[in-house]
Amino acid sequence: MRSLTLHLKILIAILVVLGISITAYQIFVLGIPVTEDATDDLWNIDAKVEFVANAKDPIKIQMFVPPLSRDYVSLNESFISNNYGVAVNRVDGNRKVTWSARRAKGNQTLYYRLVLTKRYTAEKAKIKGPTFRDSIAVEGPEKIAAEALLAPIRQHSADVETFISEAIKRVNNSSDDNAKMLLAGDPSPANKAKIVDLLLSIAHVPMEKVHTIRLVADQPQAPELWLRSFNGTDWLYFNPETGEQGLPSDRLLWWIGDDSLITVDGGKKATVTFSLNNSEMNAIRLAKLTDENTDANFLEYSLYGLPLQTQQTFMIMVMIPIGVLVILVLRNLIGLQTLGTFTPVLIALAFRETQLGFGIVLFTVITALGLSLRSYLEHLKLQMLPRLSVVLTFVVVLIAAISLFSHKLGLERGLSVALFPMVILTMTIERLSITWEERGAGHAMKVAIGTLFAASLAHLIMSVPELIYFVFTFPAMLLILVGFMLAMGRYRGYRLTELIRFKAFVKAES
Amino acid sequence: MFGLWKTWKALEARGIMGINRRNADYVLKYNKRSLYPIVDDKIITKERAIEAGIHVPELYGVISTEKEIDKLGEIIGGRNDFVIKPAQGAGGDGIIVIADRFEGRYRTVSGKIISHEEIEHHISSILTGLYSLGGHRDRALIEYRVTPDQIFKSISYEGVPDIRIIVLMGYPVMAMLRLPTRQSGGKANLHQGAIGVGVDLATGLTLRGTWLNNIIAKHPDTTNAVDGVQLPYWDGFMKLAAGCYELCGLGYIGVDMVLDQEKGPLILELNARPGLNIQIANDCGLTQRTHAVEAHLAELKARGISETVEQRVQFAQDLFGHIPAVEG
Repeated sequence: MRSLTLHLKILIAILVVLGISITAYQIFVLGIPVTEDATDDLWNIDAKVEFVANAKDPIKIQMFVPPLSRDYVSLNESFISNNYGVAVNRVDGNRKVTWSARRAKGNQTLYYRLVLTKRYTAEKAKIKGPTFRDSIAVEGPEKIAAEALLAPIRQHSADVETFISEAIKRVNNSSDDNAKMLLAGDPSPANKAKIVDLLLSIAHVPMEKVHTIRLVADQPQAPELWLRSFNGTDWLYFNPETGEQGLPSDRLLWWIGDDSLITVDGGKKATVTFSLNNSEMNAIRLAKLTDENTDANFLEYSLYGLPLQTQQTFMIMVMIPIGVLVILVLRNLIGLQTLGTFTPVLIALAFRETQLGFGIVLFTVITALGLSLRSYLEHLKLQMLPRLSVVLTFVVVLIAAISLFSHKLGLERGLSVALFPMVILTMTIERLSITWEERGAGHAMKVAIGTLFAASLAHLIMSVPELIYFVFTFPAMLLILVGFMLAMGRYRGYRLTELIRFKAFVKAES
Repeated sequence: MFGLWKTWKALEARGIMGINRRNADYVLKYNKRSLYPIVDDKIITKERAIEAGIHVPELYGVISTEKEIDKLGEIIGGRNDFVIKPAQGAGGDGIIVIADRFEGRYRTVSGKIISHEEIEHHISSILTGLYSLGGHRDRALIEYRVTPDQIFKSISYEGVPDIRIIVLMGYPVMAMLRLPTRQSGGKANLHQGAIGVGVDLATGLTLRGTWLNNIIAKHPDTTNAVDGVQLPYWDGFMKLAAGCYELCGLGYIGVDMVLDQEKGPLILELNARPGLNIQIANDCGLTQRTHAVEAHLAELKARGISETVEQRVQFAQDLFGHIPAVEG
């Protein structure tokens, strides 16, 4: 006996631990949202390319598009262009789209659209970058100025990181003559970046220019320049104007290098305007989209992998154990008397179609009418099977009549009654009438009310949308449920109603 | 909430057994599922008892098919009184007790006149499984109608009072006398309104009773005191009950017996899931007694011996008997 208890305890522990760890894995590692309402930002980026085509020449437009190697997942990418051929190719960590056409005339407009999200990015690949490079050759006064600038930078820095930010600060210092001399009267960020690049190259510190777009809605913007350097394990990003380190999380890397965003052959006056907007999207739908658009498979082995119609069936099915649990608690812990063991769950399922209040009314009406028929049949002294068949047929006719009647009255709700399980109703009527005869009307009423109460409670709990979502998304919850049910299987405490039943003992004592 | 917790603690302290404990620790532990048919089917119980030489009400006949219903008249023969029972009925449902014949019809104990056709229909219902536990097909048995001993006249209303003894592994642990009332319609089942009266295991003297979960001292119909009545043949009842363990092999049973005017103690039926109201009737919890028996069994097992029926009865009477009479 004791070994059995130990056996059971181990089994329960295994089930609960398994259930919790699978659920935790889904929540914390796969990032599946805990509630259905969880939303995530979805960014819609439009880059509009406008130019004037030369009438005679073939046209070739090349534009950088985000490489999307990290942090963001692209859900959809489209190149909208009439009569243009489109090709995308990767060059040195950049991605480039090439639109080409043999002939075009006048103003041309092309669109590039990208939909992306930050959630559900795949594991980051190992990043590689240069850690050493040769100096850029400089001569004359520039060389002297550069070296004069570098001396205090070296003094004030401890490592590559501080070296770079110090260099940027010096270049941006407008009162520094050496910096002014190097900038040669052009304080644009691009020029500053160029000077910083020069200084760093003398110190053999590698550096790259990156052009980013800020993810902010409804604000006109142009690509923003950042500098980055590889420290052996990771990229360090620097603002070329302030020397501030670290790329804000709302920046999307668009392209790397000195080239300009767009090059046009056979056209002129090319402009690119960015417009961004964000929308919120249900996180679980987002996960599904991510699955479709990337190689990721967060939901591959979950119930979401099923066809949609099957999913809906399963949403009901996974809730049945919850309903059964309600009945288990009501019967074994509270001591409520119900008709049959699982009849309340079946009735609860029927309530799904009819809504609760209407379902209770229907159930009561049909059962009451069925009972009166049953008591009439009792006088005819029929055998059980024919009698049951008559009651079942009567129930069907009754349901048809109620449907017709409510339809004529314009109550669409009445039609849902057709889905009320007739066999369940028939068995309920039969059992209730037997209980009535054998245990009296009082007991039958008690049992009927107990059944309706259990069914209503089960229905209410089974139709909590958050719970449905949770159990459907994390089916491992059912293992925890089984653990609880197993524990209930050896529960020896009193039932709530027994406390009342045995009250006589307490009275006798006091 | 606090009150309920106090009730819980008080019940636990008195060793009152709840349904969950009964099911988990006794019914599931001591009663092998495969042996259930022996107690669930009254015909098998009867056959076993006759083999073992235990007295049971005489079986007049068994009807197992619709065709055989025609033989009803033949089975009854010239007898005026008899009982029709479903072989697998539960809780006393589906039992008809015929006391007399009346102008070609039958009169039940409660005075209702029914025709032969009505009896036939009732048997047909039994056969279709209306009263059986699982709702499956059943058999009907027609047997001797027990005439209760005169001793019960004053404290019983119609029907047949019976004696229920709970037996754990052959050791009687608690006994009660069940008295039909007007409300129970002559049936001796507590949930139908019969009275349960506790019985001292050693002496066979009745204690106070329970009616509808309350403790009572008088019969509600006859107003006679139910306590202090000496039951005759008490040791015989105890031995009969203790011997039922060997008969059916189930470790935790309720043995229902009657005292017939002519034939003495008879076994009516065995119950593999005996009710818990016997505790209220005895004003005593079952758990402490069952634990004592389990401890005794463990000790015997360690010594490698087993006890005879007489020794087991003696053990139970010594340990659980001789309850001082309660005032009131």
